[in-house]
Amino acid sequence: MFKGFKTVFIKEIKELIRDPKILVGMILVPLIMLPVMGLVMGYAVTSVEEQSQGSTLVILNNDSDGDWSQTFVTYLSSIMSVQVLSDLSPQQVIDQKLLATYGSTQFIEIPAGFSQNMTLYLEGDHAITTNVNVYGVFQGGGMFSDLGSSEIVAYVNAFNRAIAPDVVLTTHSTIIKDQVQEGIDPATLSMLMLSQSIALPMTVMIMILSSMQIAATSVAMEKEEKTLETLLTSPVDRFAILMGKVSSTVIVAGIAAVTVLIGYSYMIGSITMGIPDTINVDLVTLGLVPSTFGYIMLGISLFVTLLSALALAVIMSSFSENVRSAQALVSYIYPLIFIPSIALMYLDINTLPTAIKAALYAIPFSHPMIASKAVIMGNYTTVIFGIIYVTIFTIIIMYFASKLFSTEKILTAKLMLKKESKKKHNDTN
Amino acid sequence: MICLALAVDAKSLVKQFGSVRALDNLSFTVKPGEIYGLIGPNGAGKTTTLRSICTLILPSSGKLDIFGLDVVSQASEVRKILSYLPEESGAYPNLTGYEYLEFMAKFNQKADRDVKSMVNEAVELCGLGSRLKDKAKTYSKGMKRRLLIARALMTHPKLAVLDEPASGLDVLQAYNVREIIKRYVKTYGVTVILSSHNMLEVEYLCDRVSFINKGKIVIEGNPRELKTNYNSENLEEVFAKVAGYV
Repeated sequence: MFKGFKTVFIKEIKELIRDPKILVGMILVPLIMLPVMGLVMGYAVTSVEEQSQGSTLVILNNDSDGDWSQTFVTYLSSIMSVQVLSDLSPQQVIDQKLLATYGSTQFIEIPAGFSQNMTLYLEGDHAITTNVNVYGVFQGGGMFSDLGSSEIVAYVNAFNRAIAPDVVLTTHSTIIKDQVQEGIDPATLSMLMLSQSIALPMTVMIMILSSMQIAATSVAMEKEEKTLETLLTSPVDRFAILMGKVSSTVIVAGIAAVTVLIGYSYMIGSITMGIPDTINVDLVTLGLVPSTFGYIMLGISLFVTLLSALALAVIMSSFSENVRSAQALVSYIYPLIFIPSIALMYLDINTLPTAIKAALYAIPFSHPMIASKAVIMGNYTTVIFGIIYVTIFTIIIMYFASKLFSTEKILTAKLMLKKESKKKHNDTN
Repeated sequence: MICLALAVDAKSLVKQFGSVRALDNLSFTVKPGEIYGLIGPNGAGKTTTLRSICTLILPSSGKLDIFGLDVVSQASEVRKILSYLPEESGAYPNLTGYEYLEFMAKFNQKADRDVKSMVNEAVELCGLGSRLKDKAKTYSKGMKRRLLIARALMTHPKLAVLDEPASGLDVLQAYNVREIIKRYVKTYGVTVILSSHNMLEVEYLCDRVSFINKGKIVIEGNPRELKTNYNSENLEEVFAKVAGYV
C-alpha cells in the first residue's frame, strides 16, 4: 500500500522547499513580519508613554487661590514637568494654541471650588465630590493612543492614596478638531475608532495583495503561453501593449476602490448605529465620520495606490518566465505592504520620529492608511500630498516599464538565464 | 527601390549574451521569394538569428537589413512587413480561435471589412472549421499550430519567419502544415526563412539551406547540390559529415 511513498515524499519536499513562494510564506512572513509587528507594538506603547512622561503637563488651575489646588499642583510638579495656567476656559486653552506652545497633547483642569470641595469632603461630607478634568487631543489615534491619559489617572490615584481614598475623581473630555467635547472619554472614543483604524488597513492590504497577484499574471501569462514574442513582432506600438495591460488593471483598481469604500462606509454606519445610548458618543456629531469630500479623497488615494501596485506587479512579472515565478517575485515586495499596514494600525503617524515618518510616507502603499485617518480629522493636505506622491511614483514606474518594453530586455532576462544554465550544463558535462 | 533589395541581408552579425556568444560573425542573404532553411544543433544560434530578424533582440554588432530596412533603426517598419511564428508559441487560452485571429488581424488592418477578409483567409488556411468557435485552450497541439500558421500567413507578409513550423506534430499534421506553407508561398510569392530539425521538411520546402553551428554558418547551398557535393543520400548525412560525425 505504501510502496513508493518515500520516493514521492522526498520529491515533494524538494519541490516545496525549492519554491520561493513557499519560502516567502514560511520564512519571510513568520521570521520577519511577526518580529516587525512586535517591534511596532512595543514602539507604539513606549512612544506614547515616553511622550506623556517626557512632555510638559499643562495644568489649568481655575482654583488658583485654593490651598488644596496648590498642593495638588505641587504634587504633580514633583513627578513631572508642569506648566500652570489659570483663569481660562478649556476652550480658550485650545483657541490660544497653548498646548502646542508647551508641546503637549493633553491638559488637566483643576476647576473652581476644588479646594473648597476637598475641605468639605475631608471634614466628612462625603456627598461632595471633587473632580479634575483631563482633556486629551484626539489625533486619529492608534491602538494605544489613550495611554497618556491613563497615566494622569494613575498620578491622581497616587495623590488620593496620599490624602484620602477617592477624594479626587477624574473626568475625561476630548478635544476633537480644536473643539472641546465635554464628557467624551478618549478611551471610549479610541475603542470606537479602533475598529476603523484596523478594518481599513486590513482590507486595503488584502486588496492590494490579491490585485497584485492577478496583475502579475498579465505579462507572465503571455510568456508562459508563448504569445509575447508574437505580440512584440506585430505592427503595434510596444508602449500601447504596456498601456493596454495597465489600463485593464485600472478598471480592476477602480472597481476595487469603489467596493472598499462602499464596505467602509457601511461599516462606519453600522458602528455608529450600534453604539449604545449609555455611551455618550455620537461619531457623526463629533465630526469623526468622513465627509463626502473625504470619501472622494479616500477613494482617489485608494485608486492611485492600487494603480501603482498593479503597474509595479505588471513590470515585475515582465522579469518572470511564467505565472508561478511572477507571483513569487511580486511576493518579495509584500513587506512594503505589510509593514505600513500593521504599523499604522497601532501607531499615529503624527507622533512618530521624523525618520520613521519619512520612511512610512515614502512607501506608496502607506497612503490609503494615512488618508483614512486624515480624512476623519479633516487633514486633506496630507491626503492630497499622498495622492500627488503616489501618482508621481506611478508615472516613474510606467516610464521604466515603457523603457523595458521598448528594448529586448523583456525577453533577454529569460534568454540569459537559459544560456547560462546551458553553459553550466555543458560545463558539468 | 525596396523591392530590389535582398529579403534578408545579414553581415557579420554578433550577439553576445553575457559571456556566451550566440552569433559569431554570421553572414548570409536570402533572396525575395526564396524559402531559406536554417539547420543546426540545439543552441547553435538559429532562434537567436530568427529573433534578430524579427526585431526581438538587437545584434551586438554587425548589420541586418530586411528588404533594405535596418532592424535596429527601422524596427517598427520591419514589423509591418514580416510575420513571426515562434517555436512552441501558443494562443490566448481564453479567446476562441476566431477571436485570436481577429485580435491579431486588427494590428494589420484598420477597416472592419479588411479585418474580416484577413480572418476569413486564415479560417480557410487553418481548416479548423467550427472548432474556431471554441476556446484555444481546448485545442490539440496540432490544431493550435495550424491556427498559428494561419495567423502568421494571413497578413501576406513579405517575409515569414517560421521557427520549427511543424514542431511536435505527428506525421499527418506535419504534412498538412508543410502543404499549407508550400501552397501559400507559391500563391503569394512570400519569402520564408525557417528553422527546423526535420531534414525531410527542410529538403521538401527549402530552396537553399545553411547549417549553423556555434553561431557561425558552416555550410550553405541548394539541398540537391549539397547532397551531390558531399556524396550523400540525404541532408542528414551531409550535415553529419560536415559536423564530423561520419
